[in-house]
Amino acid sequence: MKMMNRIIGAMICLGAVGQPAFAKLNVVATTPDLGSIAAVVGGDLVSVTTLAKPTEDPHFVDAKPSFIAKLNRADALVEGGADLEIGWLPALLDQARNNKLQAGAPGRIACSQGVQLLEIPAALDRSKGDIHAAGNPHFLTDPENARIVAQHIAEGFSALEPKSSAVFQSNLKQFLGQLDAKIAEWEKLLGPYRGQQVVAYHDSWPYFAKRFGLKIDLFLEPKPGIPPTPVHLAEVILRMRAEHIRPILVEPYQNRKTAQTVAAETGAVVVDVSQFPGGVKDTEGGYLELVDHNIRSVAHAFGENKGTTAEK
Amino acid sequence: MSEALSIMFWPLIACLLLPGILVYYGLHIVRREIIFVDLALAQVAALGMCLSILLKHEPHDWQTYAWSLGFTFIGAAIFTLTRNENHRVPQEALIGIVYVVAAATAILLLSQSAEGDEELKRTLVGDILLVRPAEVFQAFGLYAVIGVIHYLFRKRFLLISFEPERATAEGVSIRWWDFLFYVLFGFVVTSFVHIGGVLMIFSYLIVPAICANLLAQSLRARLVIGWLTATIASIVGLYVSYKKDLPTGASIVCALGAALLIVGLLWRFIPRAKRS
Repeated sequence: MKMMNRIIGAMICLGAVGQPAFAKLNVVATTPDLGSIAAVVGGDLVSVTTLAKPTEDPHFVDAKPSFIAKLNRADALVEGGADLEIGWLPALLDQARNNKLQAGAPGRIACSQGVQLLEIPAALDRSKGDIHAAGNPHFLTDPENARIVAQHIAEGFSALEPKSSAVFQSNLKQFLGQLDAKIAEWEKLLGPYRGQQVVAYHDSWPYFAKRFGLKIDLFLEPKPGIPPTPVHLAEVILRMRAEHIRPILVEPYQNRKTAQTVAAETGAVVVDVSQFPGGVKDTEGGYLELVDHNIRSVAHAFGENKGTTAEK
Repeated sequence: MSEALSIMFWPLIACLLLPGILVYYGLHIVRREIIFVDLALAQVAALGMCLSILLKHEPHDWQTYAWSLGFTFIGAAIFTLTRNENHRVPQEALIGIVYVVAAATAILLLSQSAEGDEELKRTLVGDILLVRPAEVFQAFGLYAVIGVIHYLFRKRFLLISFEPERATAEGVSIRWWDFLFYVLFGFVVTSFVHIGGVLMIFSYLIVPAICANLLAQSLRARLVIGWLTATIASIVGLYVSYKKDLPTGASIVCALGAALLIVGLLWRFIPRAKRS
């Protein structure tokens, strides 16, 4: 054991000597949307690795050995918080044994802080499905929340590396400038469809709906997280026909076939959207490209002539 | 390497300590030719877990363990009562039916739970990478007790598994010893399903036992070969999982499969005269 400690000690010394004077801040992000924003804010001064794949359900991420290694070496952890990662992150952190990432440590950056969360339950009741005690954690579907999150991340990085604070602030300013321009563009794109209804597979879009004045209150899942049942789908189809609802939002890890069946019955359009850059084609660029894709796809679905059903 | 060791430390400890008793049980089960009884019992244990989750207990609560164990005992009772009962209904068929129905019921139950699909997957491949030290020690403590019981009554247990005819002739109560065998096995299965999942427990039970049966005759030699196989395959599986960043449980199952392939080839090419 003593020998082992000595070897490990020697390796740490070697590692320290081998590193450049200005080592990058080693950042781990739980999901790709957070990773993308963290990379923009950190710029050249941080290296960001993301744990969840963009096509993975953020609530259920398969733990792999490399996750523990990455968390063990990280200087900072950017997480969504609000119980988004509760099913998988705590056990990984236990194994990683990294004091820098402990709850309350400056290296632990929980992005839900400062965000006005929706759907906070009055009483927790599991019979209502996969309910979130802290409120709905899918807050980045509203681009206005990206402003809060980016600011929060910049503050977090500045606290860890005060001497680089100016760089983080200038990166942040640039990102917020782009975001403002984009939000104006997006408001214009979806403006004509205010008040219209959209169906979603899962209740991941309340923030998106609120921002753009859409009504997304009909879901293919009977309760959040419970797979669609025939009786529930029949009701959804009836309501969609009666109210002429067109877009059905489906994310990569949800069952597209179910949505296609419903679309075929109702003449609706299946819209492939994602909460994560890279989750659908041509969104690999980052958060802004992703939201751009989502909004253009929804606007396109509203604008399409009736009678045409799902593409692909 | 030191990083590999620090990341895979608890899975490694679990894989070194826990399969010991599984290999021993595997020899009994292969001998009794009830290969799928462990798969069926593991699935029944998993079904208890699913029901408990539906009753709003967490997967690591003691209530979940109790539900699992209760279900496993029911399974054990069924298998005890049906041993050699009626040759028109082979026991293997009943074992298969129990497995399939338990699996289907688990799907039905979990379709009512938000985390259903994930839990279903977890009952299959477990969560060995994130195993907690307390879980390992609890299971090991339990296995040690069961190991002692098996050692104390080894003559009875070996008799009913390996020479049931003689046991009958000597007036040993097969049914009672059988039930004890299954009850203890129920504890073993329940504990391990919570850690490693259904696939892993099946592999640890059967693969080392088959390898041992191919290569050796005496019980002692078979035990040694079985333990060696389990240990080597565990280390290889864990290492591959770390090196290639693959799901850990499935890597170990495949390493055990590869071990059987290698032993099978060895056996094929050992001159026939040396066998028998």
